[in-house]
Amino acid sequence: MSDLVLHFVLFGLAGTVLVMLPLLLGRLVRPTNHTPEKDAIYECGEPTIGSSYVQFDLRFYTVALLFIVFDVEVAFFFPWATLYGGATQLADSQLSDSARIELTDKVLNLAPGTADAATAISAETATTLSWVGFADILVFFGVLLVGFAYVWKRGDLNWVRSVGAQRAPHSGRTAE
Amino acid sequence: MSLVLANTPIDLVTEGLGLTGAWAWFVVAVIHTILIGLFFGIPAGVFIWAERKVSGRIQDRLGPTRVGGRFGWLQSAADGAKLIQKEDLVPKDADSLLFRAAPYIVVVASFAAFMFLPFGDGWSAVSTDVGLFLMFAMLSLEVIGVILAGYCSGSKWALFGAMREAAQMISYEIPMAICALIPIIIVGSLNLNEIVRFQSGEGGFPSLTLLNWNIFHPIAAPAFILYFVCATASCKRAPFDLAEAESELVAGFLTEYSGMRWSFFFLAEYASMFAVSAIAAILFLGGWDDGVGIVSGLRSSGHEYSASAIGAVILIAKASKLVLVQIWVRWTLPRLRIDQVMTTCLKYLIPMACALFLAAATYPLVLNRANHGRTDLRSPIGDRVPMRAVEASEAHAVLAAPDSTELAAADGEVTQ
Repeated sequence: MSDLVLHFVLFGLAGTVLVMLPLLLGRLVRPTNHTPEKDAIYECGEPTIGSSYVQFDLRFYTVALLFIVFDVEVAFFFPWATLYGGATQLADSQLSDSARIELTDKVLNLAPGTADAATAISAETATTLSWVGFADILVFFGVLLVGFAYVWKRGDLNWVRSVGAQRAPHSGRTAE
Repeated sequence: MSLVLANTPIDLVTEGLGLTGAWAWFVVAVIHTILIGLFFGIPAGVFIWAERKVSGRIQDRLGPTRVGGRFGWLQSAADGAKLIQKEDLVPKDADSLLFRAAPYIVVVASFAAFMFLPFGDGWSAVSTDVGLFLMFAMLSLEVIGVILAGYCSGSKWALFGAMREAAQMISYEIPMAICALIPIIIVGSLNLNEIVRFQSGEGGFPSLTLLNWNIFHPIAAPAFILYFVCATASCKRAPFDLAEAESELVAGFLTEYSGMRWSFFFLAEYASMFAVSAIAAILFLGGWDDGVGIVSGLRSSGHEYSASAIGAVILIAKASKLVLVQIWVRWTLPRLRIDQVMTTCLKYLIPMACALFLAAATYPLVLNRANHGRTDLRSPIGDRVPMRAVEASEAHAVLAAPDSTELAAADGEVTQ
C-alpha cells in the first residue's frame, strides 16, 4: 500500500512540475503587455453581454443521474467478473492440475501455495460455482435493466424533445 | 505489489549505491516516475506531429516539412519553443485560480494513469490487483480538469463546451467500462500484467500464441470495436469532439486558453489517447505478446530482460497503431451533432454493451454443457500463463522494504 501511495505522490509532483516548469521558464522570456481588449473574454468580437454563469438545461442533469445509477452498478461488476472468470476457468475439464491448484489459491484468495492436489477446486464444483455466480449477476443486472427500460420508456434518453408532443394534451392553446 | 520496471537493473542500482529499506524504495519510485514521464511526454509529442502529418496527407497536403530536416519531425519541439514565448493571458472575467489550476489537473490525471501500464512482463511502475480499475479512475479524473477549464473561463462558449464534455464523458464511460469487463470475465483478473499473461502462452518461437488473444474470442471481438469507439469518444476525439467543435463553439472549453497553458490540454489529450489505446492493446490484442511465441520463447529460455524489452516495443507499436486509427478517423468522418452523440451512446452503445456482457457471461456456461466440460474452444485459459513460478521474489530480496512481510505476500500474489 505504501508503495502505491508513494507512487501517487511522486507522479502528482512530477505532473505538477511538468506543467509548472515551462510556465516559469516562459515568465523570463515572454512579453507582458495587457490591454483591456486582450483581457476581455471572446464573444465573436462583440462586447460581451451578461455573465457566463447562466442557468443550464435540465437534460444535462438527467444524464448525470443516469450516470450515477449505471456507473455505480458497473463498479460492482468488476469484483464479480474477476471471481467469475476464475470459476469458469476452473470449470474447464482439461485444465492441468498445477494450474488448477494455483487458480484455486487465486479464487479463494489464499496465499500462494496453500492449496494442494487434494483441496483444489474440482471442475464439477467450479461449474456449480459458475452457475451460482451467473444467477447472481442476472438478478443484479436485471434490476439495472428494468431501471434502464423505465428511463427509456419515460423518454429521458431523448436528447431532442419535441415541445409539440408535450403540449399535445392541451392542444387547444397552440391552435392559434 | 512489485516494483519492477526493469526488475534486475533497478535492484542492481540500489544495491550498488548501498541503499536499503525506505531509501531504496524511494529511489526506485523516482526512477519509475522519470521513465514513465518519458513514456508520457515523448509519444504525445510524436503523435501531435503524426496528427499534422497524417491530416496533411489525407487532405492532399504535405504537412510540416521543414523543422528538423526531412518530414518536419521536430515540429512539436519547435511548437513548444514558440508557445513558451507567448504572452500569458488570463481573462478578467475568469476565475483566475481555477483557470490556472485546470491544466494541472488534466496533466496530472492523465500522467498518473500511466503508472499502471505494463510495458513488458512486470515492467510497470505499480503492478496491483486493481490496476485496470485504478487506471480508468485516473483517466476519468481528466474530465474534471476540462469541465473546470470551461466553467471558470467566464466565457459562454467555454461553458457550453464544458457542459457538453461532461454529458458526453459520463455517458460514454458506461459502455466503455462494460466492454472492458468482458476480457475481465474471460481472464478473471484486474491486474494488467496478468491479463496479458493469460493471453500469451507457453513455448518457443513457432507457436501460435496469437490465437490466445482476446480479440479471437467470439464475444470479445465485437467488444473490442465497441470499446474503441467509446475510448475515442472519451478522449473527446472527432467525430465526438463536441467539447471543442471549432466550427460551432469557437474552441469550446479551450476558447480562453492560449500559449503554454493551452498546449497542456493537447499534451494530456494525446497522452490519454495513447493510454486508452494501450488499454485496448492489453485487454484485447495480447499486450506485449507478439503472437508467434518470440517473447514467451525468450522468457522461458531465461532471457527475461530482452523478452521484456522486445515486449515493450511490441506494446508501444500496437498502441501507436490504434492511435493512428484514431487520427485517421478524425480526418475522415464528419462531427456528429450533440443529440446524435447522446443517442448513439444511450440508445445504441449501452444496449449493445449490455448484450455483449450477458453473452460473455453465458458463453462459458453454454460451452461447458455443449463441449464436454470445456469452457473455451481454445486451450484452457488457466493453462496459458507462461513461466508459472516466476522467481521474481528472489530479485526482490535485495530490497529490505519498510514493511517487508506484507510486501512479500503481495509480491507472491502478483507473480504467481
